[in-house]
Amino acid sequence: MSGTPILELHSIGKRFGALTALSDLSFHIGEGEVVGLLGDNGAGKSTTVNLLSGIHRPTSGHLSVDGTQTLFTCRTDSANAGIETIYQNTALVDSLSITRNIFMGREKTNRLGFLKEAEMREIAMEVLNSAVHISGIDSPDQLVGDLSGGQKQAVAIARAVFFKRRVLLLDEPTSALSVRETEALLNQVLKLKAEGVSSVLVTHNIYHAYQVCDRFVIMSHGTKVFDVAKADTSIGQLTQYVVLT
Amino acid sequence: MTDVAHAGPARSRTKPRNALRRLLAHPAGSIFLVFALIQVCCITWALLNPEEFRYLSPQNLAILMRAVPVLGCLALGVGILMIAGEFDLSVGSVYALTSIVMAVQVSAGMSGFLAAPLAILIGVGIGVLNGMITLRFNLPSFIVTLGGLLFWRGAVLFYNGAVQVRFDPEPAFTALFAGSLFGFNAAFLWLLALTAGFYLLLHHHRLGNHIFATGGNRAAATAIGIRTKRVKIIAFAIAGGMAAVAGILASARVGSVQPGQGTGLELQAIAACVIGGLSLRGGRGSVLGVFLGVLMIHTMTNVLLLIRAPGFYLEMFIAVLIVGAAILNQLIEKRGAE
Repeated sequence: MSGTPILELHSIGKRFGALTALSDLSFHIGEGEVVGLLGDNGAGKSTTVNLLSGIHRPTSGHLSVDGTQTLFTCRTDSANAGIETIYQNTALVDSLSITRNIFMGREKTNRLGFLKEAEMREIAMEVLNSAVHISGIDSPDQLVGDLSGGQKQAVAIARAVFFKRRVLLLDEPTSALSVRETEALLNQVLKLKAEGVSSVLVTHNIYHAYQVCDRFVIMSHGTKVFDVAKADTSIGQLTQYVVLT
Repeated sequence: MTDVAHAGPARSRTKPRNALRRLLAHPAGSIFLVFALIQVCCITWALLNPEEFRYLSPQNLAILMRAVPVLGCLALGVGILMIAGEFDLSVGSVYALTSIVMAVQVSAGMSGFLAAPLAILIGVGIGVLNGMITLRFNLPSFIVTLGGLLFWRGAVLFYNGAVQVRFDPEPAFTALFAGSLFGFNAAFLWLLALTAGFYLLLHHHRLGNHIFATGGNRAAATAIGIRTKRVKIIAFAIAGGMAAVAGILASARVGSVQPGQGTGLELQAIAACVIGGLSLRGGRGSVLGVFLGVLMIHTMTNVLLLIRAPGFYLEMFIAVLIVGAAILNQLIEKRGAE
């Protein structure tokens, strides 16, 4: 792997009162790398995601972005570092159209602040057609509230793609998706990787992770127990680590 | 597979239904249908019995045009705030207070053209204050502005006592806000202009998009980086400012200000918004809907007056209208969420 990692966690600890959610967790995400963050329920995956997206602050340890030590204190800090989190229950407004959601908070406007609607609609259409191919979305004017879970996720990914995020954090992205939608999503992750976008795939499903990830970080009881490149492991070994540790 | 075989007849069967469904899916769709229906009925009836039902007589149209702007301005402001996810119950009192201040200042020799912006400034200030208290202490705006309703009504009496004030500004001021142009009442033209302005702001401007996003899903809007507190405060300020604008139009028309005026108008404004298809949970609605909601209330009032129905019918009728509209909105929203 060449150069400094985009994002690095240095012996991160996180406690909620008496509960230690994470302890001494360190791993990194390289440029254009797809990392699978695996582990059973309660291993600390969600806490890690919240930490990387700026919702939680670590109790100890620190993060570094491009080799520079930083601290994410809010969602905006993490967004400024180029990280976009895509949740199952993703940050969309149901009563607005797909186009309006994609450009929410980052509208294209003229100097007076009026929206360039035709331009935004065209881009939304293009992004939906080329970047994220998910069936059933036939117009960027559809309200997000009318979409299925997978389609909503696709819109959130389209938004991240268009705004050129460097790291996508996908938290259990396939759990609500149909087989076909899952396939489309995983292909999307690979396509983005070819464009230099890194992803962190947080999932239960080792098979999905094995399809696309370059490296696996396995967590158990709030810390890392295994960190291995795809070439040096097998599904069998990964399963063993998730189940047995 | 079987899609091809079914495509022909299925499409022709569903098309008119889809057009209706799309109209109903628009936030102002159902009110538009009902409003159009009532207008057709009234106009037909008026054409058949021009002597008995003077709906289309010039006098009646003039009365309507003069009556609509005050509630219209209040409802536009309250409506924007409702879409942002908050309420303002204090607009009726703010309307009275700003009018009184303006009238007293004009009596003391200030030009109307200075007193009117002063009134708007006070309205905006009160709106911002409502917003700050609501957001700073994380309270329901319903409660904060209920306090506002009582406080500013009291402030009217504190400022000038329980006396009527003459409002007698320079003729140019009266002509601008209460004169007429091409047979149209000036206040009504102001309302049309404001409605157009609000339409552009809410539906085609960045701020409008942020207002919808904030009211629709505040967590999502915050996550994406919209400053939702700022957006809400702006909406509160608009509601307060529009209450003052309503006061200017009313004072210029009547030529005097009553300390008790505007009591209950805040509820009528919210009623107009609900009738116009705004969601009580925020994030859904349209300026056209608010405008039609206001026209609807005044049309019904007008019709009941024309057929000489006793006053209590009016209140009962509006009550039915509000609850009916709320049920309709609920059904539409539920279907959208499924």
